[in-house]
Amino acid sequence: MIFESGMKRIARFAAIALLAAAWAASPAMAQTIKIGAPLALTGGLADEGKKQQIAYDMWLKRVNAAGGINVGGKRMKVELVQYDYQTNEQRAQQLAEKLIVDDKVNFLLAPFGSGHTKVVAGVAERYGVPVMATSASSDSIFNQGYKYLFGTLAPNSGSVENLITVITKQMPSARRIAILGREDVFPKAMATVMNDAAKKVGLQVISMELYPVGALDLSTPISKIKALAPDWIYITGYSKDLVLARKQMADLGVKAPVITMITGPVYKEFIDSLGPLAEGVTSASWWHHSAQYKGDDPWGTTKAFYDEFVAREKSEPDYVHAAAAAALVALQKAIEKAGTLDKAKVRDALAALDIVTFYGPIKFSANGMNGGRDLPIIQVQGGKPVLLYPENIKQANLKSAQ
Amino acid sequence: MEYAQVIANGLMLGAIYACIAVGFSLVWGVLNVINMMHGSFIILGGYLTFFAWLHLKINPFVALVPVAAVLFALGYLIQYTLINRVVSRPVLTTLTLTFGLDMILYNFMNLGFTATPRRVLLDLGRLDLGGVILPLDRVVAMFLALALTGILFVVMRTSRTGRAIVAVRMDRDAAALMGIRVNRVYAITFGIGALMAGACGALVSVVFPITTSVTGLFLGKAFVICVIGGLGSVPGALVGGIALGLIESLAGYFFGPQSAILAGFLIMLILLVVRPTGLIGKKGYE
Repeated sequence: MIFESGMKRIARFAAIALLAAAWAASPAMAQTIKIGAPLALTGGLADEGKKQQIAYDMWLKRVNAAGGINVGGKRMKVELVQYDYQTNEQRAQQLAEKLIVDDKVNFLLAPFGSGHTKVVAGVAERYGVPVMATSASSDSIFNQGYKYLFGTLAPNSGSVENLITVITKQMPSARRIAILGREDVFPKAMATVMNDAAKKVGLQVISMELYPVGALDLSTPISKIKALAPDWIYITGYSKDLVLARKQMADLGVKAPVITMITGPVYKEFIDSLGPLAEGVTSASWWHHSAQYKGDDPWGTTKAFYDEFVAREKSEPDYVHAAAAAALVALQKAIEKAGTLDKAKVRDALAALDIVTFYGPIKFSANGMNGGRDLPIIQVQGGKPVLLYPENIKQANLKSAQ
Repeated sequence: MEYAQVIANGLMLGAIYACIAVGFSLVWGVLNVINMMHGSFIILGGYLTFFAWLHLKINPFVALVPVAAVLFALGYLIQYTLINRVVSRPVLTTLTLTFGLDMILYNFMNLGFTATPRRVLLDLGRLDLGGVILPLDRVVAMFLALALTGILFVVMRTSRTGRAIVAVRMDRDAAALMGIRVNRVYAITFGIGALMAGACGALVSVVFPITTSVTGLFLGKAFVICVIGGLGSVPGALVGGIALGLIESLAGYFFGPQSAILAGFLIMLILLVVRPTGLIGKKGYE
């Protein structure tokens, strides 16, 4: 009996304490802006997920060190709520829901890649929460009619068109192209976009094949390409696939004047793990640190972003880092412009945004994608990626990959 | 000529597949434990080889020996201290345990090595046999994989330990009555399974990029190979591995790379229905 009443007392005390804590915490909570981020920190996309995490953290530290974001004249600190969704699409969906319902985040960041972005964007749309896509570039995500989805990457077709321009201009003999793509949202889109764009400009697509996500070995499709002797080999996939593909091309003695890998050479690890084999591989990218911009954002210049990254990570930033940080910059600018945390108003401010940042210009088209920019084309020369395009900032001319 | 190339590709891949599966098959057959850690063991072996090459400049084919020894010790320890406690329980219990252990191992590797794909830069060139190209690193890996599988076969046939393992597989209780220390045999068997995974990881690191994200792929291959070839025997893994390599290679050639993996699973399903013991498995181990 005594025990029971004791328990009751403890329970009552706990309830009061909780209430008091909630009351005490509520004004403090109103001071922070909560941004939710489901991240792939383990599983197949762990590498990419960690890149996003680094960029988010860089932005967060800069913004909070400056006192936070200016919301209608009041500085508010930012809090990032992160969860590991283990590269599991279903978990990404559940966590997006949890972030909105339980953690009551004001805004969301989408995971890496077009596929998982689509899932999270679907949830965000239902609740009317603005969601920033940091690395989705497939039109199929942005043509769903989502009102709350904004992405910092430009459409796939833009980079492929630039690539074709550079190659056909500087190596007009490359007419016969073989395409091999990974059967996955973004790499597949890049393969089909190339298939269509190449045909449009009169190039001859001599083979177009897709390999499955779980492919461990690519000797068969590469042997097939060898038999066709193309002038231009165009392969899409993630770093692991492309390292394997390039190695197996060398193993099987497959050569071509132009070898393009989307987005292999953009990543440092691609060049590191291929060594001399990476030489001459061309790629399209959304951002490259040698394209310098001055902008109104926590870094101010591309160089400042690059220098901070190099000092912190002892490696070079790639487009994933830049586009992830840029997504937060865009959100920050939209909040400042809207002067409120009201989701619909911030959404409208995002839609009307027109700024230049360290990452380049950000202006979302009607479908939510960052509009036309001069997307860079790069090639590995002398063990480093160099810029072949845009013309006004190019560092080298195209070299044969043979 | 193209067909010859496709078949050569399949055979080289198949030998590596056999090596991937043989340790997994042994553990499953003898201990009735489905070792979910097998894929992670292979990748751990791959990473150890990679770092030995990167920092100590040790040739991966040489590093294979110490790497295999380290993995043996790890496997022995895991079985002796953890799995032996539940080894006679239903297969679901041990499966859950190894699944949990795999998550721990996987995440430690992710933390320590990051998921960034890495590759040993050992490009040995290639052999041109009248138009059929054989990459030398794959050829060496293939022969080593076959040699390892062969050594294991001989050890199982002729050594005292090997006979004890076979005895335990046939009848655990009778083996115990004959004076075989069953728990020790279990630990040795699991150790050998891990050893084969580690050695295979060293070979894999020469041929494929190493990253934690492929552990599940290797485990999946091991499953399919065991079902195709038959469980618990060295020849079964060898036949299953080479069969899968050829199936994937030929299906990829004729029906496109998308169908290669599908074909492997289809043949596995068909075999499960018409010949559950696998191509050369014995009844009682299906």
